[in-house]
Amino acid sequence: MNTMTDRNPTPSFPNVGVPLEKLKPKRVRRRIELTLWEKLYVFEVLRGLYVTSRHFAANMIGFVVPPKGKKRSVFTVYYPEERVTLPPAYRGRPVLVARQDGSEKCVACGLCEKMCPAHAISIVPAERADGDRYPSSYILDMSRCVYCGYCEEVCPKEAIVMSAEYEGLAETDRGNMLYPKEKLLRSEESVKGRIQYIKRIYSKCNY
Amino acid sequence: MLADFIESIAKIVFIFSINLGFFAPILGWVERKQSAVMQDRIGANRADIGGFTIMGLFHPIADAVKVLTKEDFIPAGANKFFHTIAPFICLVPAIATFAVVPFGGRYEIFGHQVNLVIADLDVGILYVFALASLATYGVVLAGWSSRSNWSLLGGLRASAQMLSYEVAMGLTIIGIIMVYGSLKLTEIGAAQANFFRWGIFLQPVGFILFLTCAIAENKRVPFDIPEAESELVAGYFTEYSGLKFVMFWMAEFLEIVTISGIVTTLFFGAWHLPFVTDAMLLSFFQFAGPNGAAILAMLVNVATFFAKVSFFIWLQMSIRWTLPRFRYDQIMRLCWKMILPISLINIFVTGLVVLL
Repeated sequence: MNTMTDRNPTPSFPNVGVPLEKLKPKRVRRRIELTLWEKLYVFEVLRGLYVTSRHFAANMIGFVVPPKGKKRSVFTVYYPEERVTLPPAYRGRPVLVARQDGSEKCVACGLCEKMCPAHAISIVPAERADGDRYPSSYILDMSRCVYCGYCEEVCPKEAIVMSAEYEGLAETDRGNMLYPKEKLLRSEESVKGRIQYIKRIYSKCNY
Repeated sequence: MLADFIESIAKIVFIFSINLGFFAPILGWVERKQSAVMQDRIGANRADIGGFTIMGLFHPIADAVKVLTKEDFIPAGANKFFHTIAPFICLVPAIATFAVVPFGGRYEIFGHQVNLVIADLDVGILYVFALASLATYGVVLAGWSSRSNWSLLGGLRASAQMLSYEVAMGLTIIGIIMVYGSLKLTEIGAAQANFFRWGIFLQPVGFILFLTCAIAENKRVPFDIPEAESELVAGYFTEYSGLKFVMFWMAEFLEIVTISGIVTTLFFGAWHLPFVTDAMLLSFFQFAGPNGAAILAMLVNVATFFAKVSFFIWLQMSIRWTLPRFRYDQIMRLCWKMILPISLINIFVTGLVVLL
């Protein structure tokens, strides 16, 4: 039986796929000693200058004639004026999903409260006259939240999701960082992409 | 006599304004913007007046305002006198060196000989070297008088590096002096009227060695161990603030201009266009009368000269943003074991060729 302490464990893989020898990374030949050509410096300096000047020339032309297929050769985004389009996998601040009538989808089961590694969520459950459960208070402490997304993963109703919001999260007062239910509610339409995304990735697992 | 006086004043004002008013502020912008373009970035473009940014050209103004309102700080325990005087010792040689660099030929306007150089010294090159070595004092004093470990180390490194490279720089230029047989920069410039007599064709090795030494003398990357920011904060001017801090920067930028001017004068035909002599320019502008032709030819000379200077400024900036920093021992080995012997061989070969 192979244990962890075996020096030379015999490979018990079946002979399928890429042979093991080919999986080995190519050895990089690293030359420490400089050749005479490199020791002359001048030509190596010129080679370096060629690289940087090529970028310089390309960008100078790119300012005038933008290269095809790209808006410009420089990919800097002017932040307050321009925004990057975030992928659905981006985890911004968690929000509660609201129904059409504005009430929250959450049924106050308390799973997110239990799951939260930072103990950021505190729920007070309540019951309506028709027997539906709802949180009478749902407080998310944003000074504790670590944006792990476990609450969203564990939620049976897709009622709490990670939105793409990443601005206005800083406060000068800790009291302001306790987000009440009203501050957390977002319409279902605004987080549609994320809901589809979590349905897709979490359905692969056996929940 | 009065005409001479007016001529001198006009030339001094011209050089001062183009150096301090144009090159010194604009090079700060060029350095940022060129490095940005070379590295696929955008660079400074936020300072605006009424919504106009013109590619960040307002940043030098913003910098000037910022610098003028900063506190002028002298650290406790520093030698106040030397701490104050060191930036001046750095800046003055950088400006004064341009006095001997000719930026045009000799013309006659209204019966008055105009020579486009501020001081036509017989020993122009020696004057350049003398002032370049004076700048060392500023750096060493700044490092020593700040009473800071970083500054002291920076000053020590600077003194060792600059003294070593001064020796090598003096030897690299001997070849040019032998070829043209003169120490006078105007004569060296005038001797390069023929395109195939430019210094770069007669002394290609000398050019590379001189440019290397000049960059090292100016303490710029890849020879910037005196101010190595990853090791010594800012080196010899760590303890400076406000206007004095900027004076070190201005000295560095003006030295770039000066080096470019000297390289242009010695190796790249000074104020001459390729295949075009001053006499040809004069005959080309004959339609403007003798005086008008002289003025137009002068303008072409000055424009040519400063275009070449701008190219070498670009080259030095490119080198600065291309190469990593040398280690201290590498700098010393490059100087004493490579540049010095090669320049000696260069002198020997030049001497043989000149003799034969």
